[in-house]
Amino acid sequence: MISVRDLSVRFGETTVLHSVSFDVAKGESFALLGESGSGKSTILKALSGQVTDWTGALQIADTVLRPGHRARLARTVQMVFQDPFGSLHPRRTLDDTLSEPLAIHGQPDRDKRVLAMLDAVGLPRRFRFRLPHQLSGGQRQRVAIARALMLDPPVLLLDEPTSALDVSVQAEILNLLKSLQEEKGLTFLLVTHDLPVVSFMCDRLAILRAGRIEEMADVAALRAARLESDYGQELIRRSQHG
Amino acid sequence: MTLLSVENLRVTFPSDHGPVEVVRGLSFTLGRERLGIVGESGSGKSMTGRAVMGLVAPPGRVTADRLEFEGRDLRSLPEREFRALRGPRMSMVLQDPRYSLNPVIRIGAQIEEALAVHGNLTAKDRRTRMLDALNAVRIDDPERVARLYPHEVSGGMGQRVMIAMMVVLEPALMIADEPTSALDVSVRGQVLDILDDLVKRRGMGLMLISHDLNMVARWCDRILVMYRGEVVEELGAGALHQAQHPYTRGLIASLPRLDETRDRLPVLDRSLL
Repeated sequence: MISVRDLSVRFGETTVLHSVSFDVAKGESFALLGESGSGKSTILKALSGQVTDWTGALQIADTVLRPGHRARLARTVQMVFQDPFGSLHPRRTLDDTLSEPLAIHGQPDRDKRVLAMLDAVGLPRRFRFRLPHQLSGGQRQRVAIARALMLDPPVLLLDEPTSALDVSVQAEILNLLKSLQEEKGLTFLLVTHDLPVVSFMCDRLAILRAGRIEEMADVAALRAARLESDYGQELIRRSQHG
Repeated sequence: MTLLSVENLRVTFPSDHGPVEVVRGLSFTLGRERLGIVGESGSGKSMTGRAVMGLVAPPGRVTADRLEFEGRDLRSLPEREFRALRGPRMSMVLQDPRYSLNPVIRIGAQIEEALAVHGNLTAKDRRTRMLDALNAVRIDDPERVARLYPHEVSGGMGQRVMIAMMVVLEPALMIADEPTSALDVSVRGQVLDILDDLVKRRGMGLMLISHDLNMVARWCDRILVMYRGEVVEELGAGALHQAQHPYTRGLIASLPRLDETRDRLPVLDRSLL
């Protein structure tokens, strides 16, 4: 579903990604783990067309991306961001936010689909005409997920979707993402630095360090704390002992 | 020795529906130890820290039966004297160094400013103290870092600079409000080590406010768990698994684990609390 081959990205003199390659199968959850500056968000930006100056080969579903071109990706891939406070328009109601993608893409039954999506992400229908500031952080993240799913894209890019949330709310959002994935057969590419979240959500993972993939592993190896690279072991140690 | 004693602390804010109590009758004492305060957003944990520092701005109101720091009653302390206390005797480290450091003043000058306001050292002595403080937070090349602006250092280094700015005055009480949440996992350990070192070597009292249950549990001598402005449970070091209160137990259960095998995470049922 997602294919990344020898992806390199440079910002001026600095190379932030050094020929990164990985594949994500349909319906799979793949995690990119790494610290700030390791390049994990840059991979998402390249895949979503926000960074167009790269070399290598990228493909999502049937769309082959070309460097320097902004592909029409809205119906193929959507992104959920870390901060639900920053990612929703503060002066637009949920109804505006959710129906806009449908309007742009000329899709019918907007009314029905907005209501169905509110149900799907577990928001009460009476929230439909509320503004973002009237919602809690967890509810806002539900709106962000709903917005991302309005055009039924097969792929979701999740950039630290729960790290700004309280732990009890994190559990709700992770459960929701898992249910939606099972219902709709979605493919997830999740960026995080939280190892336990990967254990819960993902099937496979890649560990990034300074723009290179240090290790790729099955989630079973992570659960058993048996990552092969030294850096992977170090991450496990830190995650367990602070 | 008791550094800080708090009895029946209440913080109230007015609202359209009458006054809202965000801290409801909190009592605790703090010695030269590491006290952790954990809770979720809106539990009142940050307001507790601010109330102790005298930083709850009107229209917020702070009341308490007792609010004593080093034997002085903070409730009736005039603002002028409170200001002399903040910095030299008690200080606060905030979450994000990007917002709490002045972006247009060099790091060294910012730290020296604290000394200039609260003392009468010569410029030369201030500089020595400033470099010592940077050294104490394990910055290897203090001379160079002192010349940098905040945007030229990483988040972890910025947070260490913040701590240096606090320790340069050698306060007796430090309130750290989410000191590591904006940092990468790899530098969190360092920042906590530095705080730990300060508690042990300088006999400082530390209030660590955080939402990270596991981190606080591993690291503090005592933990207060707050929910809706009240302490629901007090736990000793490493006794997190003995938690009794349904809220604490619910929080622990809802955290994913490294060896996770559950298909769904249990969600806190707030109607039962």
